[in-house]
Amino acid sequence: MSSDGSWPDRWNHIRKMLERGGPLAHPEFEASTKNLDGLQMLRILVVGAGGLGCELLKDLALMGFRNIDVIDMDTIDLSNLNRQFLFREKDIGKPKADVAAEFINTRIPACKVTPHFKKIQDYDESFYQSFHIVVCGLDSILARRWINGMLVSLLTYEDGKLDQTSIIPLVDGGTEGFKGNARVILPGLTACVECTLDLYPPQVNFPLCTIAHTPRLPEHCIEYIKVLLWPQEKPFGEDVSIDGDNPDHLKWIFKKSQERAQKYKITGVTYRLTQGVIKRIIPAVASTNAVIAAACATEVFKLATNCCHTLNNYVNFNDTEGIYTYTFEAERNEKCPCCSQIPQVLSFKEDAKLQDVIDYLQENASYQYKSPSITTYINDKQKTLYMTGIPSIEEGTKGNLKKSLCELGLLPGQQLIIADSTTPNSVVFKLNLGSEMD
Amino acid sequence: MIKLFSLRNQEKEGNDSKSGRVNQKKVSAAVLRVQKDLNDLNLPKTCKVDFPDPDDLLNFKLTLIPDEGFYRGGKFVFSFKIPPGYPHEAPKVKCETMVYHPNIDLQGNICLNILREDWKPVLNLHSVIVGIQFLFLEPNPHDPLNENAAEMLKTNQRMFEQNIFKSMRGGYIGSTYFERCLLK
Amino acid sequence: MSGSISPSKPVDKSNKYDRQLRLWGDQGQSKLEKARICLINATATGTEILKNLILPGIGSFTIVDGHKVSGEDVGNNFFLEKSAIGKNRGQVACELLQELNDDVLANYVDENVEDLFQVNAKFFSTFSVVIATDLNERTLLQISSYLWSCKVPFLHCVSYGFIGYMRIAMPVHTVIESHPDNALDDLRLDRPFKEFRDLCDACDLGKMNVKEHSHIPWLIVVYKYLEIWKNKNNGNIPKTYQEKQAFKKLIRSGILLNKDGNPEMEENFDEAIRNVNTALSATKMPDDVKHIFEDPECINIVNKSEPFWILVRAVKEFVKSEGEGFLPLRGVIPDMTSDSDSFIRLQQVYRNKASKDVEAVNKHLQNVVSNLSIPCIISEAEIRNFCKNAAFLRVLRYRSISEEYNSPSTIFLRQMAQRVEDEDDDLVYYVLLRAVSRYYLCYSNYPGIYEVEDDIMNLKSCVTRLLQQWKITCSIKDDLIHEFCRYGACEMHSIAAYMGGCAAQEAIKLITGQYVPFNNTFIYNAMKQTSVTVEL
Repeated sequence: MSSDGSWPDRWNHIRKMLERGGPLAHPEFEASTKNLDGLQMLRILVVGAGGLGCELLKDLALMGFRNIDVIDMDTIDLSNLNRQFLFREKDIGKPKADVAAEFINTRIPACKVTPHFKKIQDYDESFYQSFHIVVCGLDSILARRWINGMLVSLLTYEDGKLDQTSIIPLVDGGTEGFKGNARVILPGLTACVECTLDLYPPQVNFPLCTIAHTPRLPEHCIEYIKVLLWPQEKPFGEDVSIDGDNPDHLKWIFKKSQERAQKYKITGVTYRLTQGVIKRIIPAVASTNAVIAAACATEVFKLATNCCHTLNNYVNFNDTEGIYTYTFEAERNEKCPCCSQIPQVLSFKEDAKLQDVIDYLQENASYQYKSPSITTYINDKQKTLYMTGIPSIEEGTKGNLKKSLCELGLLPGQQLIIADSTTPNSVVFKLNLGSEMD
Repeated sequence: MIKLFSLRNQEKEGNDSKSGRVNQKKVSAAVLRVQKDLNDLNLPKTCKVDFPDPDDLLNFKLTLIPDEGFYRGGKFVFSFKIPPGYPHEAPKVKCETMVYHPNIDLQGNICLNILREDWKPVLNLHSVIVGIQFLFLEPNPHDPLNENAAEMLKTNQRMFEQNIFKSMRGGYIGSTYFERCLLK
Repeated sequence: MSGSISPSKPVDKSNKYDRQLRLWGDQGQSKLEKARICLINATATGTEILKNLILPGIGSFTIVDGHKVSGEDVGNNFFLEKSAIGKNRGQVACELLQELNDDVLANYVDENVEDLFQVNAKFFSTFSVVIATDLNERTLLQISSYLWSCKVPFLHCVSYGFIGYMRIAMPVHTVIESHPDNALDDLRLDRPFKEFRDLCDACDLGKMNVKEHSHIPWLIVVYKYLEIWKNKNNGNIPKTYQEKQAFKKLIRSGILLNKDGNPEMEENFDEAIRNVNTALSATKMPDDVKHIFEDPECINIVNKSEPFWILVRAVKEFVKSEGEGFLPLRGVIPDMTSDSDSFIRLQQVYRNKASKDVEAVNKHLQNVVSNLSIPCIISEAEIRNFCKNAAFLRVLRYRSISEEYNSPSTIFLRQMAQRVEDEDDDLVYYVLLRAVSRYYLCYSNYPGIYEVEDDIMNLKSCVTRLLQQWKITCSIKDDLIHEFCRYGACEMHSIAAYMGGCAAQEAIKLITGQYVPFNNTFIYNAMKQTSVTVEL
């Protein structure tokens, strides 16, 4: 047995794939005994340690990856245990990332999973940049969009040409009941999350007047309590908003919903339904999570080793009637607010005034902006540098025009977010300060 | 087929190894979109937006002073909160001025389809503001939030107008007291 | 040698299983909790399947496995550990799998499946579902034939390189709650029932103010204008595109005008117009259900008949008499713009009519049962549920694996010749997997276990012989044969995990009788993330 806790034949299964060539392998693939070492060096980030995350960690660890980080801000709940198989009853209340990482590290020798009990937003570029591949197993569109935006922002361009070494592939999975999807995103090359935002169904919201006066469904009654009665009655105090995990809150809402349903002779308000509406519960089973996570892990393995072509680039899965998969190539949106932008550089001297920047954007032939507004982040806080059109802001920011970029606290590499009526989206510029201009 | 670079050839640096450059917070998609929305905002002269903190573009107030219709001369303030999921999610808008209006309840909830069931990411802040403005020109009595006001509008339009005026001037409609919101 | 590990204290199950109860309900869950699962061979694919059955809470599982844990087993199987190398694979997997859920009873039998089957075939007949991985062709045929004769559902699952394969075999499977994704509503506007007509007739659109008028449910609006239309058109309802357009126009003309002469905003009328096309589609007997009515099991009800068939028969009798050729009313209407009262009243009319139909079905049921010498054990709630789902009933008749091997269907063979040459059709992998098992019979090993190049020719000749046996003239690309030799029977964990998810869900469908399992062969191609289902 080797010093890292391994043993003979351990990797026989994946070695066959890595040490043998074949006509169906990716053209870049070179069969070699070194492929496994290469794979084991790679740093993989798993985003989410829930239903998909637990599966992903297991799958990746057994596919030879041993440098894995996992990030999740949640703690373990009883209702997770029907699918999040790395957790036990004794773990309820503990951080998912910590428990999942410890389980994998104990079960799979020499695999090192590093947990981060954090929000994804708690980390910046330098964290995300340190990974070769990112895999997402999330139930939140918002979080997915954030990770996508982060990876797109890490792309670098030279003379308008994408530097391919700056690409961090994103493999993304999602499930809902017996349905799921998996996709591979090569930021800057293939369709990103924002390109295909319409693939995600919008939240279902009932009309307010229906909720208020013409309820017909049990859901309408529950929504009434949530949206209108709670803020009015403040049953648990002035600043207490609804906590779906607080049984007292749920019981109150359930009781009030029943009363309302009775008043309108509506049947079907149950505790389970109340919980479902309030927490916007998405049904989930172990099997779908297993399938989607496995598809994602296979794609990570392919990306990492080139042993086979990767998914191009989206697959839908549904096993309510038989087992159905549909694979297609999601197309890039040429006007994607996220990945269609090639980050541009604005170069100015430190003593240049903000007005000079505005003038430049208006006069330079490649921009010809009409009335650009400029914001930035200083010390993690958004700051509006200049905006016309909104009198109160224009008033408050026009003094900035006479200030130098240095006085405004702008540093080299600063991101300037610029919106103008001539561009379809806000554009992020990187500020190049110093003597490099012209 | 895309020819993929070889991942293994990439040297990855660990955390915090970057130096000499600003570590910047990731610009959120909501912020990018809101800034664009605001930049393109072409407000009718009856509307004004104010930012309590000009650096926080996600929270602002809309002041509407209708120059025609039932509510002319009144001054109505709305709070806008842009959720981080914008524009996938609709902005959250409340009416801060107590108003006698069929589609706005006394807690300031507004029944406007594009704020809830009919919101789409292609809509923007301009559409919402126009929608609110329309609600003050043409209150809809058939799908009300404030049933008393709606009933009045349907059955006795003159009384409805008088009630609006009374409420805007500051006074009671039934047992409900309305703060003055009339200009001049 | 065998052993078992018993479960411990109970927990709040409705909370623990909340996310899945929303999919198959307490009924489905209680069936699951009674299920006894047998897994033959605790390979990576095998334990992944079990994992996804243990987590949602099956009653018990038994692993039959005589293998000793090898180094490569631990490498791809999450439920084996290094320290277990050399021990019985079933036992170790059993222990680690049991940890997943205290509600589940875990057993193992430390014997090779072949041996156990020789001495005690009956052992396998005691399970709700038997799942097998890593079976050679001979054992597969023996066991599957035996289980077929006992009517025990059998699921065979394989992960081979980038390819997954799964086969379900059982004589027949019936589904009441198939949970169709996009079912049409059962509204019967083309043949309105009396209670609905009465409700509509009592409502006079002409005497309403705008508020009332704009809150009449669109079902009633369509009914009203349909009456007008029928009066003008010899009692016919709009059928052609032109007629439907004209009918929409007629509805639109009913929208009230405000004092300026402009149409009011009447959401319900908009909904009525939007729904014309679907609402006017003729109520009919679904073909699937007609077919089920003609099934011998429905025609010949005997003492041993399953409740499903007794219910089918009762519904059939209903259709012949009270139903006037149609199924019992589902009794569910979609949400629509309306004031609460009108909606609830309308909903009640549909519900009451559905209840009446249920009662009628119940009478037929009593008739059917009274001719038998057994008491009726079907509850009112079951009849109700059956009627509600009558349009979605499914009966899946499978072919046995012996039939597949010994008398391949001619339709299949005809298709096969074309399909294996189609690059986008994953059916070719079925041929390759069959060739691989043929190879195993010949050489007692899988192609590419040690050497790739040397085995290509032999695998190719297995393919050729198979095609000859099927009398198919087509060729399978050398590249694919090469790729299969490259695999060397490797079982990559992520492929095993994918198949583990799929197989577990099919088993859950078989156990709960909800949702529709595939019939009968599923092939997964992880290279392209595509799949195909085919009846062999």
